[in-house]
Amino acid sequence: MSSAISSREYLQRRSFIELDARTRAKSLFDSRTDRELAGPFDRIESPWLPLQGVTPQADDGCIVMRGTIGGRQAVVIAFDGAFQGGGIGEVSGAKLTSALDLACRDSQEGKPTSAVLLLETGGVRLQEANLGLAAVAEIISSIIALRQYAPVISVIAGPIGCFGGMSLAAGVSSYIVMTPEGRLGLNGPEVIEEESGVEEFDASDRSLIWSIYGGQQRYNQGLVDVLVDDDANQMIETVRDLIAQGIPEVHRSQQVDLYRSRITALDTSTQWDPAVVLWSAASLARPTGRDQRPTDDKKEHHQ
Amino acid sequence: MINQPQETGAKSWTTRREEKRRRTESVQPWLKGPILTPEKVVDALELLLKSGDRVVLEGDNQKQADFLSRSLVKVDPKKLHDLHLIISSISRPEHLTLFELGIAKKVDFSFAGPQSLRLAQLLEDGKIEVGAIHTYVELYARLLIDLIPDVVLVCAERADEQGNLYTGPNTEDTPVIVEAAAFHDGIVIAQVNQITDQLPRVDIPGSWVDVVVQADRPFALEPLFTRDPRKIDDLQILMGMMVIRGIYERHNVQSLNHGIGFGTAAIELLLPTYGESLGLKGKICQHWALNPHPTLIPAIESGWVKSVHCFGSEVGMDDYIAARPDIFFTGRDGRLRSNRVLCQLAGQYAVDAFVGSTLQMDGDANSSTVTKGRLAGFGGAPNMGHDPHGRRHASPAWLDLIPSPSPIARGRKLVVQVVETFHSGASPAFVETLDAVAVGQKAGMPIAPVMIYGDDVSHVVTEEGIAYLYKAEGQEERRRALAAVAGVSPIGLKAKPAETAALRKRGIVAYPEDIGVHRLQANRSLLAARSMEDLVAWSGGLYTPPPRFKSW
Repeated sequence: MSSAISSREYLQRRSFIELDARTRAKSLFDSRTDRELAGPFDRIESPWLPLQGVTPQADDGCIVMRGTIGGRQAVVIAFDGAFQGGGIGEVSGAKLTSALDLACRDSQEGKPTSAVLLLETGGVRLQEANLGLAAVAEIISSIIALRQYAPVISVIAGPIGCFGGMSLAAGVSSYIVMTPEGRLGLNGPEVIEEESGVEEFDASDRSLIWSIYGGQQRYNQGLVDVLVDDDANQMIETVRDLIAQGIPEVHRSQQVDLYRSRITALDTSTQWDPAVVLWSAASLARPTGRDQRPTDDKKEHHQ
Repeated sequence: MINQPQETGAKSWTTRREEKRRRTESVQPWLKGPILTPEKVVDALELLLKSGDRVVLEGDNQKQADFLSRSLVKVDPKKLHDLHLIISSISRPEHLTLFELGIAKKVDFSFAGPQSLRLAQLLEDGKIEVGAIHTYVELYARLLIDLIPDVVLVCAERADEQGNLYTGPNTEDTPVIVEAAAFHDGIVIAQVNQITDQLPRVDIPGSWVDVVVQADRPFALEPLFTRDPRKIDDLQILMGMMVIRGIYERHNVQSLNHGIGFGTAAIELLLPTYGESLGLKGKICQHWALNPHPTLIPAIESGWVKSVHCFGSEVGMDDYIAARPDIFFTGRDGRLRSNRVLCQLAGQYAVDAFVGSTLQMDGDANSSTVTKGRLAGFGGAPNMGHDPHGRRHASPAWLDLIPSPSPIARGRKLVVQVVETFHSGASPAFVETLDAVAVGQKAGMPIAPVMIYGDDVSHVVTEEGIAYLYKAEGQEERRRALAAVAGVSPIGLKAKPAETAALRKRGIVAYPEDIGVHRLQANRSLLAARSMEDLVAWSGGLYTPPPRFKSW
């Protein structure tokens, strides 16, 4: 993290992480343009959780809001990490997919509508496993449909991060924004520790975990477009800028050869130290349209 | 008629001194001054200790003489066995391996947190004999009375060639342990991280020390008092607000000790925000007996805190402390001088209030952290968490707890327990019978290992409200007051609405609204720091958290 934290000014910021999901979503919109769709008073709850002794939540942990951001049409979908770890179930998955599909329809009808996903999620909700997995497939295809017309921005602020199937959804979005406190990965640290033991991976060791999944590392690896401090104003500005910027020339997930070449170039015969960034940041071209340059892949592996 | 000795001169009055001389001479070949060749440490222990000796192994809940304990495990049990160990905190696996190997047989201790399961098992298998479980001060007191040590194994940061020791910020228990041996012809063996020509300051004079050995690696140190503000939840914040309003402000608490936990961390982080908004700065919480909790940094930086005396130090806090000598006790070298015994005494006699938490509490407010299968011991909590009847000086808070005026009434220390009615996983914190009762019986202990006795507790704070137990008249009313704040736990279900209403009217029970605390205001935005990064920022970069707490 930056040297900012050794100064008192850091304390004056308005933390984005500390905002709950609904407040996060609301904070991104131009003043008084936001309205919530399928909100808690519509009581669209998970029918599966009560059967398993889990109290459902009136919005199923997924908040959908529509309005304008920097004067442009946008929909924000925020996951509530405080409910079931932000896990995707049948209802929350359907809310997200429908929001993306409506944005896609509006965009096709000449009203470009960007989508911002505020991801605090461990992935598929275990209590609704198969339905959640199906939802992830739908979400991914809806993102890919929308991103032809308007940017889809994934924001991973923390503290939960973005894991499991939803990390794939983030991967196909147009831009990824993270804070240093955010984490992005397929298998979460607790899962790996449980499967392979604490010797292999100590999920309670924050510096180890963040050196692998953390925002700074993901940014250095070129998997993230913008790294922002935990500051609500910076976050709002970043999202507004990216929406204004529009669709990237080429999406990250279309650059299969680039990423494949990086993986093949990795020397896996020795144990990597997570503190050493896998691909040297200096020789690294940002692989999305935001800062697109021709790349010389051969130079990008470790030195 | 005065009894005359039968044969003058036949009895030696210097047996301990002679025995000490004999043993230390036997290791002379490996010594240069007091400095022992590290390769010979196991051989030296075999000669300096004798089977059946009473040996103190320094290991409190922060620093550990781990080079000496790892070396002691390597002695030949045929040569050295049946030691009586005195360990304030049984923290390291080899502490118990000593018993499995037969090198040690009996133990007197205070705390066994990390090893509490294995200790209970060894006790059941008859491999270990427990003298007693003590509080810290109590154990050190016995070193001077009936548990006088033959040998003490301690640790220091540095030594010079004369054997002077620098124990630095983590001085902790070393002075009292060394004193008990050095002045009663016991042998003092110290492990040090480093041997240098000059010491920053002398914490233990060389004339008290017999053998110094350089350790293979710096002594082990655990960051036990660091709580990540990210893990503080809204209920803990609500309880913190109630403590500030309903206890600190109400009774004018000037001096205090906080136990370690997220509840007390929340209070520390609420002082510069919520406390400030109530206009309480400079009016409460000015003097502390406290480990250097990182969560106290914002209160110190905002000018709430006038002084802090410390039991020990805390990993990552040393530079911050050194830069705030007006607040902390520091030596000429600028670094903290902690002292567990003195701080325990200070926390016992010189503070208005103790605030702590517990795992279980019964209907009479007795509490214990001993739960099924675990023999965790007490540490220092009972010293802080009782009303010392030897206190004679008055303070506003102490006087405020006199329930009814009387010419010879004495004041009372505030002993506050902050307890959420349920733990995660839906197990109630308020129970009919403490697990400690069954654990004590199974371990053959003469009394149940109760940490804080109910009659010492003046206030219990839960997310429901505050029970001002000291105001209750009689045992029955005390029970009703506690039940009124015990939620839907087995104890709380006994509360009757009409009785609770009457108790609230008389001020024996207060719910948040009764003391002007708004439940909806209780959220994390009230915390002065909400992450480790915030604490670093408050310290101006002087606090350096241990890696496992850092995500940057």
